[in-house]
Amino acid sequence: MLRIHGLAALTMRTFLMTSKSIASLLLSLIVASMQLAHAENCDELQNQFGEDVISVHCGGAPSAAVDADGRLWVTFVQDKHVYVAYSDDQGSTYSQAVRVNDEPEDAEFNGENRPKIVLSSRGDILLSWTTKTSSNFTGLIRFSRSEDGGKHFTKPQTINDDGLHTGHRFDSLYLTQSGNLYLTWIDKRDMEATLARDESYPGAAIYYAVSKDYGKTFSDNYRVSHNSCECCRIAVAPQGSDNVAILWRQIYDSQIRDHAIAVLSPEGQVSGMDRATVDDWYIDACPHHGPSMVLAQNDDQYHMSWFSAGNIHKGIYYARYDLGSATSSHLLEVDATPGAGHPSLAMHGSELKMVWKGFNGVQTQLKIMRSHDDGETWSAAEDLYLSDQASDHPLLINTDQGVYLSWWTAQYGYIFKEIANVEVR
Amino acid sequence: MLKFVKAAFAVTALLSVGQVHADNIQAFDSQSFAQIKEEFAGKPFVLSLWSIDCAPCRVELKLLGEIKQQQPDFPLVVISTDLLDDREEALDILDSYNLAEFESWMFADAFVERLRFSIDPLWHGELPRSYFFAHDHSFESHSGVLSEQQLGKYFPQLLE
Repeated sequence: MLRIHGLAALTMRTFLMTSKSIASLLLSLIVASMQLAHAENCDELQNQFGEDVISVHCGGAPSAAVDADGRLWVTFVQDKHVYVAYSDDQGSTYSQAVRVNDEPEDAEFNGENRPKIVLSSRGDILLSWTTKTSSNFTGLIRFSRSEDGGKHFTKPQTINDDGLHTGHRFDSLYLTQSGNLYLTWIDKRDMEATLARDESYPGAAIYYAVSKDYGKTFSDNYRVSHNSCECCRIAVAPQGSDNVAILWRQIYDSQIRDHAIAVLSPEGQVSGMDRATVDDWYIDACPHHGPSMVLAQNDDQYHMSWFSAGNIHKGIYYARYDLGSATSSHLLEVDATPGAGHPSLAMHGSELKMVWKGFNGVQTQLKIMRSHDDGETWSAAEDLYLSDQASDHPLLINTDQGVYLSWWTAQYGYIFKEIANVEVR
Repeated sequence: MLKFVKAAFAVTALLSVGQVHADNIQAFDSQSFAQIKEEFAGKPFVLSLWSIDCAPCRVELKLLGEIKQQQPDFPLVVISTDLLDDREEALDILDSYNLAEFESWMFADAFVERLRFSIDPLWHGELPRSYFFAHDHSFESHSGVLSEQQLGKYFPQLLE
């Protein structure tokens, strides 16, 4: 695939060059594409192509989505640029990555703060990310899209509309069935205004904006809640065809960092806001540990998984939340082993899966467990991978074909594999 | 290996244009914590862990910087859980709290789970995180911003 697109463009551009240089360039591209296919991790790629090789195996904190034709799209950050690449063989080989932002910017790339990718059924590729603007927790919520199948991306635009040099970070992106694109984030504009009045403001706030035209234009920014935690990813799941439910870490009583849930409408209405977890984690600190949430079989219920080190619950937990009664049920201690964290949920058909990371003192364990009855009962936890090198947070991606693991590791490179096909290693 | 890394830092610091503050950041690997305990053998000390991305950590760094200004011998070790790639940024922050001239470390490896485990298997990675080590190196841990009163419990001279 690298050859088709890369060479077509190259042939046009280099028509006037000497035949010798054309032949040399063609040969190097063909060799590069063949070798890229065989590389397994970033070290191998860098040994072959040098330190500057651009690849999902080398880039930071990838996100993935699969389109209706089964093509895998990934976005990642490398050297102050957001990139997008695709794969037609489920992650064995990738196209040449397309650079999204021409001007370098400090796009964040870590477990809690990564570029996001969403695909529309009509072929739009929609991206968001956070760009860091100083060492003092300031940032901008950035957005770009492609309407030509990922060949070109629009110049990134800033979605937070306050014009303030303050915190706008930890973006999440979600497209509803009806075509409403929700962009949520953690925002410090209210904190700035409150501190300016010499009043205290624990944490930050949750804001969002909505696009009804696949990212061409966005609504005003809407506030969901004051006093959120400042440093944890926000989980998003559908509510009906137009709305979304979000789950985030909220500060209660100035000191407790548990989770809140709310339903957002495209017009900025926030409803059903309630406390979704009661762990009593009294902490004046950054957990850097956001939740995961997917829709359950009942359209008003959600599967949630999260981490806490609270007085009541310590470790990774699962529960099902019911919007109608505003209660959680089926609470389960998933893994209270020290080092366990960063759960991710996915539901495909009637099977619910959860992965998370454990650490046995020497190796990271990528663990999985399954439920076939909407979270009533679960299989025992199993190790999917063991690694004695660095790794990203694991993500589960639900596709038409099944649930895939999306996980960057130093040892195995970027892994995108259908869970059913993962061989334990 | 560590000496080599430290020497490399020193060279980098000398070559950096506009590098004005002290650079005492050392590379923290899975052996470093044992080295720190050896350095404080038979002595109490405070270990404070922070990261560039942690807002509450700045409150704690400010307090620790003030303490070190008043009592330069206060037994403090500061460790940033950021990777060494971000050393310049970490150094600027430490310098702004008058901590750049004191003992300081940064994670040398992206396999942060292993480095965290080498300090305390029960620590989940939340920041700031601090430890009070007694003379015999029995310890108590704390998650969240340290107060002067908490420090004073272990080091009464701070409250005098």
